[in-house]
Amino acid sequence: MTNHLLEERARTATPSDTSGAGPAARRRRSSWLRRDETLGAWVLLAPYTVLFLVAAAIPIGYAFVISLQRAPSLVNPTSGFGGFESFATVVGDYRFWSTFINIFTLMAIWLPIMIVGIVALALLIHASPGRFGGAMRFVYYIPGALGGIANFVLWVYLIDPVNSPIAFLWQGLGASTYKEVITPGNMPFILTAMLFFQGIGTWIVVVNGGLNGISDEVLEAARIDGANAWQLAWHVKLPLIRPWVGYAALMNLAYGFQLFLEPYLLRQISSGSVVAEWAPTQLGYAFAFTNRNFPAAAALSIILLLITLGIGLIIVTRSGLFGDEARTRTTRAQRKARRTA
Amino acid sequence: MTRVSPNRVSDVTRVVGSHRWNAGRIARIVVMVVIAAAFLLPIIGFIALAFGSQENIESGTSGFLNLGGMSWENIVYSWNQITGFGPGNGGLFQQWMINSAIVSVGGAALALVAAIPAGYAFARLRFRFRKAFLMATLLAMVMPNTVLVIPIFLEVNAINAVGQLWPVAVIMGFYPFGVYLSYIHFMTTMPHELVEAARIDGLSELRTFFEIALPISKQAIALVAFFSFVANWTNFFLPLALLTSSQQNKTISIGIQELIGASPLFNATVAAGLDVKLYLPQLALATVISMVPLLAMFIGAQRFLVRGQTIGAVKG
Repeated sequence: MTNHLLEERARTATPSDTSGAGPAARRRRSSWLRRDETLGAWVLLAPYTVLFLVAAAIPIGYAFVISLQRAPSLVNPTSGFGGFESFATVVGDYRFWSTFINIFTLMAIWLPIMIVGIVALALLIHASPGRFGGAMRFVYYIPGALGGIANFVLWVYLIDPVNSPIAFLWQGLGASTYKEVITPGNMPFILTAMLFFQGIGTWIVVVNGGLNGISDEVLEAARIDGANAWQLAWHVKLPLIRPWVGYAALMNLAYGFQLFLEPYLLRQISSGSVVAEWAPTQLGYAFAFTNRNFPAAAALSIILLLITLGIGLIIVTRSGLFGDEARTRTTRAQRKARRTA
Repeated sequence: MTRVSPNRVSDVTRVVGSHRWNAGRIARIVVMVVIAAAFLLPIIGFIALAFGSQENIESGTSGFLNLGGMSWENIVYSWNQITGFGPGNGGLFQQWMINSAIVSVGGAALALVAAIPAGYAFARLRFRFRKAFLMATLLAMVMPNTVLVIPIFLEVNAINAVGQLWPVAVIMGFYPFGVYLSYIHFMTTMPHELVEAARIDGLSELRTFFEIALPISKQAIALVAFFSFVANWTNFFLPLALLTSSQQNKTISIGIQELIGASPLFNATVAAGLDVKLYLPQLALATVISMVPLLAMFIGAQRFLVRGQTIGAVKG
């Protein structure tokens, strides 16, 4: 509202501003200032721009160029332009679709559990006043602090069918060795448990941030209307934190396509009972490091990049969580208004 | 992301949570405590495992969650096994820890040098392509970073730098989430009036940044340093692709992978050729030690984290 008023004010004030004798000089000065500002901005951005080019733009461009080359073979060791041949190689590879089927199977099990878990625990914490809620939030966050490999080694201990505190579970399934626990059928469930354990803490904090943003008045009004804690959570809080839940779902979805460490290491301790190319990233790794087929590895990277880029675009433009542009506009209008006043 | 101060939050929860003891409240607390136990017990058992011995575990005398099998001698024994791993007298484990420190600190330092001024420029300066570049930064931030690893490998391979530490540190220096943190920091703490006033006083854009913006960005510096250090320390795929070819230059995350691969539990052939025995207690100890720097960073940055939690929360 104020934003509109200020812009309106700025617009109506502008004509009188340009009519005087002084403004021409001021305009000249301000355009000089603008040049100075642009120059300053790019100097400040220089280190980041260099890193952006080196770690993102150039590798992507280079990968695209490589992906269009022909893979060298024993018969013809020279590589050259091969068009989309490598993309055909990748998509036609017998492992390509199975890696995606694996990921989608995992998603079908993991994502709903993850989202329900995040929302339920965040709501429980939000409904808990004071120190107890804070302490619980901290405890739920701890597993998330165990990054990557540490979480994995912890799970090596947990899926140990002999010594794990949940060994009874594995024995109940008839498994007595790692090889018998880590089977293709169990993979989605083991990965779900690993990812849930590691990921949930951070996301509880995110969704909790959303819950804390709900205004006092809304909650009080609902309580005055006689809503109990359950109704409050289900009918008032949940609809209001939808953007955060959507954000969590999409980020986790994107995360699924880049899964590497867990299936890669599970393969290592499974004595070969699961395939080495369980996830798409593992297939890319195999193309690059086992087959030394760089064009195919690059092509697969481009495919994964496009998928995650699509999800990323939805997150950034549709989630409504990155709308800080509005604030910039307000301040710009304020400044304009002040200058013209 | 929220506009609510901590005080206000507790007000809200006090209003909402001021129930008397009833069935619903008891159920809520029981559920939360049970879940907390399910989260904590495995970690406690894992840490106790690092203090345990393979003999106790095999004979089943280490007790509930291995808590009965802990001793200092076990730690000394396991430490000797871990540090004895490697050619000659071993010492690879320490080398890996040092390598991780080099790339993590180097990467975090680069991330700071890049992110703080970039965030300021995005937040408070007007220039062409600002919106597009900011958009690209947000996209790079929400995209999982492992999709870029193979392209980065191809790039580093093209300049024949695979197996060296410096490219890893440089790549880790690209930290768009840090730019976003810095951007939000200057958006919320540095009013436009301050920039305008500095300009009227005749300060150049660079001096405005160094003399006015930088001194008030302690919070952003702490957050960027913390989050990037943690991300670098735990990074797995990037070092795996770039450093696997050089055993001496591995980081601890892929080093632990090598330890797992040398365990008699998972690779009897490799393990048979080694002087050291790496069973689960040794692997657990190596993992726990590898987490100590993260713990130290966490304690060091804690007071900034509490304040910055709501901003930090946006990245998964």
